[in-house]
Amino acid sequence: MSDTRPDSGTVAGLLRPHAGAFAALVLLQVIGALAGLAPLLAVAELGRALLSPGPVDRAHVWFVVLAGLAGLLVRLLFSAASSGIGHLLDGQVQLAFRRRLAAHLGRVPIGWFSRRSTGEPAKVVGEDVSAVHPFIAHTPGELVSAFVVPTASLVYLFTVDWRLTLITLIPVLLAVALVPLMTAPARQREQREFDAAMGRIAGSVVEFVQGIAVVKAFGGAGRTHRRFLTATDEFAGTFLRWARGLAPIAAGMQTALSPPFVLLVVLAGGTVLIAGGGLAPADLLPFLLLGLGLTAPVAALGHGFDDLRAARSAVGRIRDVLAVQPLPEPARPLTARGHRIELRDVRFGYDPGREVLRGIDLVLEPGTSTAIVGPSGSGKSTLVQLLPRFFDPTHGSITLGGVDLRELGSGQLYRTLSFVFQDVRLLRASVADNIALAVPEAGRDQVIRAARLADVHDRILRLPRGYDTVLDEEAGLSRGEAQRIAIARALLADTPVLVLDEATAFADPRTEQAIRHALATLRGDRTIVVIAHRLETIADADTVVLLDDGAIVERGTPAELLSRDGRFAAFWRSHRGDELR
Amino acid sequence: MIRMLLRVLGHQHARPVRRTVALMTAAAVVEGLSYALLVPVLRALFDGDAAGARPWLIAFGAAVAVYAVLRYVSDLSGFRVGTTLLRGTYRRLGDHLARLPIGWYGPGRVGEVSLLAGRGVLRAMSVIAHVLAPYVSAAVTPLTIVAVLLAVNWQMGLAALLAAPVVAGIQLWTGRATAAADAERHHRDRQAADRVVEYLQAQPVLRASGRTVERFGLLDGSLRELQRASRRSMLSALPGILGLSLTVQAILTALLVLGTYLALGGAIGPAEVLTVLVLATRCADPLLSLGDIGGQLRGARADLAELDTLLRTPPLPEPREPVEPAGHDLEFDAVTFRHGDRTVIDDLSLTLPEGRRLAVVGPSGAGKSTLLQLLARFHDVAAGAIRVGGTDVRAVDTQALMARFAIVFQDVYLFDGTIEENVRLGRTDATEAEVRAAATAARLDEVIERLPDGWATAVGEGGALLSGGERQRVSIARALLKDAPIVLLDEVTSALDPVNEAAVHQGIERLMAGRTVVMAAHRLRTVRSADHIVFLDGGRVVEEGTHDELLRRGGRYAAFWDLSMASAE
Repeated sequence: MSDTRPDSGTVAGLLRPHAGAFAALVLLQVIGALAGLAPLLAVAELGRALLSPGPVDRAHVWFVVLAGLAGLLVRLLFSAASSGIGHLLDGQVQLAFRRRLAAHLGRVPIGWFSRRSTGEPAKVVGEDVSAVHPFIAHTPGELVSAFVVPTASLVYLFTVDWRLTLITLIPVLLAVALVPLMTAPARQREQREFDAAMGRIAGSVVEFVQGIAVVKAFGGAGRTHRRFLTATDEFAGTFLRWARGLAPIAAGMQTALSPPFVLLVVLAGGTVLIAGGGLAPADLLPFLLLGLGLTAPVAALGHGFDDLRAARSAVGRIRDVLAVQPLPEPARPLTARGHRIELRDVRFGYDPGREVLRGIDLVLEPGTSTAIVGPSGSGKSTLVQLLPRFFDPTHGSITLGGVDLRELGSGQLYRTLSFVFQDVRLLRASVADNIALAVPEAGRDQVIRAARLADVHDRILRLPRGYDTVLDEEAGLSRGEAQRIAIARALLADTPVLVLDEATAFADPRTEQAIRHALATLRGDRTIVVIAHRLETIADADTVVLLDDGAIVERGTPAELLSRDGRFAAFWRSHRGDELR
Repeated sequence: MIRMLLRVLGHQHARPVRRTVALMTAAAVVEGLSYALLVPVLRALFDGDAAGARPWLIAFGAAVAVYAVLRYVSDLSGFRVGTTLLRGTYRRLGDHLARLPIGWYGPGRVGEVSLLAGRGVLRAMSVIAHVLAPYVSAAVTPLTIVAVLLAVNWQMGLAALLAAPVVAGIQLWTGRATAAADAERHHRDRQAADRVVEYLQAQPVLRASGRTVERFGLLDGSLRELQRASRRSMLSALPGILGLSLTVQAILTALLVLGTYLALGGAIGPAEVLTVLVLATRCADPLLSLGDIGGQLRGARADLAELDTLLRTPPLPEPREPVEPAGHDLEFDAVTFRHGDRTVIDDLSLTLPEGRRLAVVGPSGAGKSTLLQLLARFHDVAAGAIRVGGTDVRAVDTQALMARFAIVFQDVYLFDGTIEENVRLGRTDATEAEVRAAATAARLDEVIERLPDGWATAVGEGGALLSGGERQRVSIARALLKDAPIVLLDEVTSALDPVNEAAVHQGIERLMAGRTVVMAAHRLRTVRSADHIVFLDGGRVVEEGTHDELLRRGGRYAAFWDLSMASAE
């Protein structure tokens, strides 16, 4: 996965390692396909022998028959081998694509995700990669039988009779004349609409399923249901337009290329030539047998078109995802000295023109705890999200141990920082794996110690298979329990800096206690940053930072701020009043 | 398979589908029969009698014309039916999804359903539009040709006929042999899709834990499993494809040898032998393509089976003669509810008179949220009954039942649209003034003022662009707008900082005024004002009474209260 070649991010680069297998596949296919001509030639030769005046050369006839049989056998073996290789290769290529896409998506800025529904990139990793399948498993075979075989046939037929060869090509020419109509701009536009409509279905169904509780609560005719139906209706409409636009052309092509029509043309031409005495009746046979094969290239174009086109749009979307700029990693990462964090004139906005952070200067000294408070929308969450580099500041810098985060290897950054987010996300994995997320190599005893500290050990023991219970599959946890798992996660990670979005309010009193307990345990040399909601946490902090509208409006120790009787003091009093009411 | 297809489609579509299949069969038979005319044409030509060939050639031309027309008509019919079916299936799927109990929507469902609705439905439907015609033609045309062969020369015809049962047998066998491996691959496909969604949605926590894909084995494992399953499914189909190819080529060989033998012995004229061989090669290509087409059909089969299973999952039963509840009092009568084999609510009885407030308190996992969800019939109870206004909720029309509840959830899910659209969800026909009033009451107006596009600000998927408190205010405004007689609050004020909490609290007070309220809460401050409090643990009521009564009792509730007060100070 640690591919450093410059082209490893492109589709062609991903395909390159498989070029050898691909070549073998094509070669086998060519041999098999050419061998497949042998029985047809044998029949033609048989015809010449039988129809020729005079006694029949029996030895020659049986030799011809045997040659035909040998050809059949070779074709069977080689085609099977080629098809087998094709499918195996296909599996490998798909895996490589998916891995590459997943790795890339793991590096694009988090902000990229919040601007689109999860369905979109998920579709690229899943369906779009699958759509590449025919491209690798079927196309080589189709192309070979579409071009190599007809070319060989054509050469042979020309040596038999050039006039009848040209006549045999009439259906092909008719069909070729129709091809431009299939690739007309209107058709291509319909194809694009088709793809877009498909994407909307994927998006609307994710929304539909995720929001089902709301849909239910507000009646079945809810918005998402309608939106899903609209998306599907649109899709059905697009599909019909696409099919209707294509149907007459496709039907015309198919008729021109159909065996009865080709035979009709060959026979009509043959009858005229034989009547004129210019063609031996036996020479009609090769045209009847091989002539049908000449239509293969056009037929393949028509038939293989859908798949190929779908594969091409899919590859386009894969390329788009791979082209998203990842958060830049330093070429030569520097090493942080210590874990003092300093924000200097940090500005940031999700959209240009709307700054969420407007010049933050803040130092987080080792061994101190800092409480960030402020009204909702003041930028608290955004501020802490800059620390794990979910986003990079648009202006100013954040340094850890004297090194700009952008100069730091991500490995070192994550070894230094751990987080407890407000939205706890548990993975469909065992409880133990969930706790050991940041330290997968941790032993079971360490996991249990962390769980005990977070006061969730007892609950885990009550799960069907204890620490090995797979969450979501075998058992679900409540919000508060999930929160405590997240705390255990952070405790186990044991990093020098802990960032905590204190959604303690989410949890029940027991979880609140667990958090307080954890915070008390963690102090010492650690740097703690808390988005604080609770007075107690605020009172315990060394420094309080009051954020409003993206700027720090007050800072100091809780006591200082209270005595200053400014915004913070007002905030404190209103809160206190609430608590005691 | 056709039967399953028809079941998924619904029976109103059975006739058009049958007509389309009949058209396709007719076209294939006409193609096969037209080849019979080749016999006299070739006999005359091989004898050097071009004039004798001409009338037969004209007849052949006429047959080809009939074939072309039939084929065009059947193609168009296939497309048309395919599209109607596509639309119909999506509608059925959408309606069905909306009627399934919330309990059905486990965590894995998002990936599963979106995969099914996207690729699955299309693939199942394209069977008719794209695959059915070639399949019918590949099976029927050779059979017709064999009949023609029998008429020309019975020995060679019989030899060709031998292939028919073998080919049919191989098709059937492959279908069965691959079913397990295909199902496995399908399953892995879904699992991988779920993992991808999980991986993408969990990006924040994964990154913060330093778990990029290299170190996130769950995703990589499922991707590898998918590859392995694809390989197994391919290998399981291989004997069938090889067998088919082998059979067709063996028969071709046999005809070649037999024909040569008969011709050399003089039992059959050269013209007949050659005609038979030309016709025999006409059978080979369609038969060989059966392998490929069969693969596509099998792909669709798995999707179809899944669609079938989904559509056959029973929705919450609707009452045949719905009853309109009288009043808004609530009653749990010996209710038991199980999730899987875990009993979430255990023989619980409770009553709440109209206009009163009930608070449900207890440790996490006690069943508080489930209790609320049962009221709104997100699930059906396993035993006992839940009554609203004296009527069992199962006897009330779902729409009518939902109209009585305004629910504010713990997790607020907003739809990817504007704030206004999300608020209007409460009552789509509300006037501008009503929407604004609800927003003001929920103190959503201050949030809107801050947003760049005001009411028209897009909230992102799931409301991702708003903070927890902002989302909560939207959901309260929504509930206020709905103006329903019964209010369900599920840990509403929990996600909020004090400022937001105060704001939300005001909104909640307005929402609760004059209504029957059930709230699940652990922020005990909200609880204190309730008329009645139940302390829930393990799905049972452990204690109940008013706040003061419970405090005096000094039991679980009192301990909980102390803990909560201690952490607040």
